[in-house]
Amino acid sequence: MTASVGTEGQKSNQPAAPGQPLGPQAEFLAEKMGEVRREISKAIVGQSEVVEGVLMALLAGGHVLLEGAPGLGKTMLVRTLAQAVALKYSRIQFTPDLMPADVIGTSVVQESGDGTNTLGFQPGPVFTNLLLADEINRATPKTQSALLEAMQEKQVTVAHTSHQLDEPFFVMATQNPLEMEGTYPLPEAQLDRFLFKLRVPFPGRADLNDILDRTTAGTTVQVHPVINGPQIMEMRRIVRTVPVAPHVQEYVVKLTLATHPEGRENALATKYIRYGSSPRGAQTLILGGKVRALLAGRFNVSLEDIKALMLPSLRHRIILNFEAQADGRTTDDLLEEIAGKIG
Amino acid sequence: MRFGNTIIQPASGDVAGKAAFSALREAWAGFSSANRTTGQANLTTLQRDLDKQNCPPELYGIIDSLKAIRQRIVTNTLLAGWTEWSICILIGLVVAGTVSSHLNIVLALALLLAVIGVAAITVWIWRNRLSTYETACRLDGAAGLQDRVSTAIFLSDSRDPLGMIQQQRKDAVARVAKVDSRALFPLQMPATAVHALVLLLVFGGLFVYRINHRAPLVSLLRSTARSSLVQSIFTPIVHAMEKDLERTIALVTLKPELQPDEVRPGEALPVADDLWQPAEEKAPDTKDAEPQEMADEHGDQQGQPKGQGNPNAMPPSDEQQQQGDPNGQPQEGKQSDAQGQQSNQQSLTKAMMDALKKMMSNPKDQQKGNQQQNPQNMQQGGAQPPGATESDKKGDSKGSSDQKQNASKSAGSGAGSQEGTKEMLKGQPAKPVNAVPDRVALEASGYKEQTRMRVDTETGTAHMATQGASPQTEAVINGAEQENIPARYRLYVQRYFEHADSGSH
Repeated sequence: MTASVGTEGQKSNQPAAPGQPLGPQAEFLAEKMGEVRREISKAIVGQSEVVEGVLMALLAGGHVLLEGAPGLGKTMLVRTLAQAVALKYSRIQFTPDLMPADVIGTSVVQESGDGTNTLGFQPGPVFTNLLLADEINRATPKTQSALLEAMQEKQVTVAHTSHQLDEPFFVMATQNPLEMEGTYPLPEAQLDRFLFKLRVPFPGRADLNDILDRTTAGTTVQVHPVINGPQIMEMRRIVRTVPVAPHVQEYVVKLTLATHPEGRENALATKYIRYGSSPRGAQTLILGGKVRALLAGRFNVSLEDIKALMLPSLRHRIILNFEAQADGRTTDDLLEEIAGKIG
Repeated sequence: MRFGNTIIQPASGDVAGKAAFSALREAWAGFSSANRTTGQANLTTLQRDLDKQNCPPELYGIIDSLKAIRQRIVTNTLLAGWTEWSICILIGLVVAGTVSSHLNIVLALALLLAVIGVAAITVWIWRNRLSTYETACRLDGAAGLQDRVSTAIFLSDSRDPLGMIQQQRKDAVARVAKVDSRALFPLQMPATAVHALVLLLVFGGLFVYRINHRAPLVSLLRSTARSSLVQSIFTPIVHAMEKDLERTIALVTLKPELQPDEVRPGEALPVADDLWQPAEEKAPDTKDAEPQEMADEHGDQQGQPKGQGNPNAMPPSDEQQQQGDPNGQPQEGKQSDAQGQQSNQQSLTKAMMDALKKMMSNPKDQQKGNQQQNPQNMQQGGAQPPGATESDKKGDSKGSSDQKQNASKSAGSGAGSQEGTKEMLKGQPAKPVNAVPDRVALEASGYKEQTRMRVDTETGTAHMATQGASPQTEAVINGAEQENIPARYRLYVQRYFEHADSGSH
């Protein structure tokens, strides 16, 4: 197990005042997110969709599961983001022998100043703002489930005592889809707690050349923090005020229900899907749509936002049946087909 | 009966009718209000007309734009609906003007239907016209505004404590100002307007034609019916159909009379002389014959009245009884009529003989089947089937059919072939038609020393030993084999072998 705790970032910007009108704050949000993108792009070449998804999840208050082959810059992305947003950063390398106490902390005997020994809570690496759970599928389900309460409730309970986590709390987990030997696939309950599941693609030719130029020339990249924790929390508050038109919300409901095999109206889901999206999927679509609208300079959620976020929001919330696996169907193409039928 | 919350109970008189009407009206009102409530519950912004007074002033421009767009959409929908209806009316008018002789009534009816249809379409479209919110959605989709306008309309009556809605309105108004709604939603003619115009021209021409002429289709049909071409086409067909009908009637009349000729064990065999009469001796133009009567006549001429020689035979027909021979004795007066009928029946007999020959003239199958089925016959070899000639001995299958013809010829010549009038007796009363038995009641054990015959499973195909076949002592015609012979040919097949058997002795 490798855990490292980073330093808290500098507070270079003042958070927006709560009483200030949201319009300027929304513009401020879009502006700041643009700056974060630029800082991240100093270290991360390409992967714009992944960066955008990570930023949207950060503003929406969710967690991200990054899936990609080794060497694609997943860990680098998380570390760069931590530097750009000036948040406390921890990294846990998940291994089969990792225990829950190694994640959330444990009670240890501490000697007080008067010579008496008392049981004191030693916080684990989960007590941070930005947690990188590297190769999370290599740990046992027992250890994986140690993150459940932290991710959803933003607290951990040790020895009948609950300890609140600092806000913002943002978990970025990575997993390798290739080496499945000796891994423990994440249970559905834990998968559902991730706002997005982002697939890190292999870089293209131009991006690969750029990566080689940057990483082999001996130059170091300095990432400056452009936003801090309180600002992120204020942005999260602003995000939730973005209005949604009824027909957009109705579309989200239709899309979510269409992933369920129980519905008679969708033969595709009945044939290939064993379990459909949870209500968290619909929440993710709306919340992510709000963030995306603000980042695009809009003040309303559109159908395009929902369609753009459909795959990262729902692909890990759908369980395919054996027939889908036998036919080589994936969640992504099934979701595309379902969305196409809905209109 | 229950409509919504209203219970309608049957009653009598005007009171019941009024009560039922009022109950129906209330039920409809309740249904309509329920629909409206449901619609409002699902989409709160589906109200037809957005009240400007409840909207913020900055949205007035958007509302006016949406109103203009909605009017254009409704106008286009009305034009499309009216055009479709007019096409239906015009098609009906063209058809009616083509076939109907009362054009005035048709025009009046079409006018009435057009007015009713246009009114119904107008009401229907107006009732289902787009709401302001739906129009905003259309505008968003057409102009790529990413749901800005629809969201602004949806939030038009919302309070804005945080300022986000205000920002959204400003954004929407700014975007709508850049959109040319007239270009996006133009007034356009329906796609089917050309069809309607063509139909209108067609009907106009037809109307002008009808002023001085009658319905063109009726005139066309009448002139066509009179034309010599149609007459030349249909006359032969009608004539052939008449012939077929008469032949069928004769055949049906024949069958019940065949039953007395059924051979039973121990009975004397009737002579089917005319069946074996050569085709050359028969009159080619005779038709509609009744072979059974002819066979009866021959039996009478040979001095073998049915009543005496065959006590178990069925009684003669009613016509014969009226002619005065209840005991089956030969009469001279009856003979002349029978001769006339005989000549008329020869054509049918010929047709049946041809069918029988065709049925029995499959040389390869006969030869193969006889070789397989009757190896003993092949070995015996010395004896020949009745009527066999040298061609049979040589194994010429073709010769077997010829031989059968020869046998028929010889049998016909010796069985009382007679000359008769070849005119068809049209005045002859129809014979009573009895039920035709599907299976001829034959008992194979009663047949002695007959040619072994094998009946193939294929209907109407009989295989006979024609090469090296020898007469057998027993007939092997059993019920199972007879089932494969069509009922109308069984008697002839039976007679054939009976005749051959008697000839060999």
